[in-house]
Amino acid sequence: MIILLLMSEPQVTLRVSEVVKRYGSFTAVDKISLDVKAGRVFGFLGPNGAGKTTTIRMIVGITAPDEGYIELFGERMSAALQDRIGYLPEERGLYKKMKVQEQLRYFAALKSVGQKKADERIDYWLNRMELTDWKTKKAADLSKGMSQKIQFIATVLHDPELVILDEPFSGLDPINVETLLSAIAELKASGKTIIFSTHLMETAERLCDDIILINKSKKVISGTLREVKSSFGKNLVALRCNGGDAVLDDKAMVTSITRHADELELELADGAIAQELLQRLVAAGAVITKFEQIEPSLNDIFIEKVRGANA
Amino acid sequence: MRKFFAVLKREYFKVVWTKVFILTTLLAPVGMVAVSVIPVLMFSIKGNAVRLAVADVDSQLSGRLAENLSAEKQAEKIRKNADDSLKQINASQEEALKRNAEQFGGSFDVRHFSTVGKTGDEVRNELNRQIAAKEIDSYLIIPPDADAADAKFEFFARNASDFVSKTSIENAVNDAVRLGRLEKVNITSDKLRQINKKVSFSVKSVDERGSVKEGNDFGFFIAFGLAFLLYMTITMYGSAVLGAVVEEKETKIAEILFSSARPFELMMGKLTGVCLAGLTQIGIWVGSAALIAGYTLFAMNSGESLWAVSNITPSVIVYFFVFFLTGFFLYSTIYALIGSMVTTTQEAGQFVLVTVIILMAGLYSVIPIVRDPNSTFSVIISFVPFISPISMPVRIFTETPPFWQIAISLLLNVLTTCAFVWAAARVYRVGMLMYGKRATIPEVWRWIRQG
Repeated sequence: MIILLLMSEPQVTLRVSEVVKRYGSFTAVDKISLDVKAGRVFGFLGPNGAGKTTTIRMIVGITAPDEGYIELFGERMSAALQDRIGYLPEERGLYKKMKVQEQLRYFAALKSVGQKKADERIDYWLNRMELTDWKTKKAADLSKGMSQKIQFIATVLHDPELVILDEPFSGLDPINVETLLSAIAELKASGKTIIFSTHLMETAERLCDDIILINKSKKVISGTLREVKSSFGKNLVALRCNGGDAVLDDKAMVTSITRHADELELELADGAIAQELLQRLVAAGAVITKFEQIEPSLNDIFIEKVRGANA
Repeated sequence: MRKFFAVLKREYFKVVWTKVFILTTLLAPVGMVAVSVIPVLMFSIKGNAVRLAVADVDSQLSGRLAENLSAEKQAEKIRKNADDSLKQINASQEEALKRNAEQFGGSFDVRHFSTVGKTGDEVRNELNRQIAAKEIDSYLIIPPDADAADAKFEFFARNASDFVSKTSIENAVNDAVRLGRLEKVNITSDKLRQINKKVSFSVKSVDERGSVKEGNDFGFFIAFGLAFLLYMTITMYGSAVLGAVVEEKETKIAEILFSSARPFELMMGKLTGVCLAGLTQIGIWVGSAALIAGYTLFAMNSGESLWAVSNITPSVIVYFFVFFLTGFFLYSTIYALIGSMVTTTQEAGQFVLVTVIILMAGLYSVIPIVRDPNSTFSVIISFVPFISPISMPVRIFTETPPFWQIAISLLLNVLTTCAFVWAAARVYRVGMLMYGKRATIPEVWRWIRQG
């Protein structure tokens, strides 16, 4: 029974516990805790300046926390563990005068990958990103999108178990975004754990299994995407129908109605069940062309939480 | 350590595998040779002999002039000049000098033009016609009162800007007239030579063991040359370190690097790589300079080896190398520190200027040290970190101080370097991740204190 429980519980790849980072009198990260489970895509969300990059820098071992601790693969974070992480920072670049291949070899060497192994993987990823022709070109000759893809390759070249991507799509055209998304899907399929930091909620919603939202150095909300959405209280229904007005006027069922162009947005009363509303409408003889329970989008949650905190 | 070597390798080859490096490394020795050889070659290119007509009443003065302008006399003159500067010249070199003189200034075809029974205008008209007809190239009018103090000689030439010929003729005329005047008071040219003979002034140096050695001016030039070499290398490769650090900040590559290796490894790898590239270049230059110098001395066959001539002993070379390394590394570290404070190389200008001024002070301290290596000033300046990498080797070179002084100087330098490496590592770790603005001095000071 115990064994079964352990097996069903995915392993924790990264644990951040009560971490604090201060710069002078400013607290950049204030008691943030999070668990990232193996093989999941973890969304690290928050507005600009919330403390995302500061937290990530502590996770990858660039800076050390003032309080709390960070555990990676069950060990305290150390320089030796850096080789098992791939980090694509938001502020990123390439050596302009260095050829693409030499550049990638250098980054691989810094992650303790031998040249033979590195060359194989460079060829694989350049092919995967459709950049093979650019292997011997200097980075200065690459377009912005190409540079971004090379930087992504540098991040995953050493086959890291944990991949951290900070705003990986900024400045990419839709085609390159798709290329990168499929590469991320490939990483996930091969069992890598991915931390994905962004302030773009639509991408996060599409990619993430779990999320944490931080604002002003503090955690606002965290959990699986589903938990976060359902915990975000409102019970809304989008409705397009003829008739059934008496049912809609029942304050015990519907507390408010917002009229859009050709449909209604209903906010259900506490304890009211959408299924029951549908049954009563049908019973009242209303002709229903649309009935949909609306989940709050991550965007709505983000705006409400951040605006609420800043107000 | 593997990552340190990966960084070192990249930084080394980044500098060494460039066209600029290869060209400057190879061309500098060629350039040095060219600077000394080309002027000599240029002067030796000369057309036909200059045909000079000497207009004189009798041929007494013009005869003497012709003799003075002969190849033999010219060679003698050059040899005398060479004698004064080189002290001793052997037979084969004398032959070479004579050959040079013939090409150099000795090609004169002197003819006498009698002015007897002609007015000054007639003489001039006739000679001008000869110049126009290209029968002669130039003429000299000797006044009848040639021995008088205010005698006026006139020289006319088709090409008055051939200053080599002009100077030779002017000197020859002066010598001829002077000799004429002296003969009037019964002084012959042999007597004159005896009167003018320089005393023999031989310089020898006595070392601390009391043994006497041949002394010369080489010492100062080698000391100054080495000091200048250090100054040049530090400024050149210091800015290379600066550029390498700023590049990683400008291209925003630092954060990727920091997530892969410890900042200390990255900084030290970078410093060591660039320093080794500098040493490669210096090695090639010093090596080729030593070869050229050795060959020159061998060719001159002066009977002394390079070591004896220049005071260079193996221990001096070792000392020089050790001080060179510490100095080079100290300044490179300072440049790395500056690089992690600023966002562009341009911003680094004012900080770099301070280091250049300190280095210049070191370079000029060479002069008082060579003049008196044991003065209070010389002793103190050879202990001051930043300056001692230049001043101490020069002291060692001119008059080796007691070993404890060398050891203290070296120790102070190594300690200073360690302190700067420690501080630079702290500034590097924080400064490299600061984008967009230059760090202020108080900020940098806080980073160093807080780590």
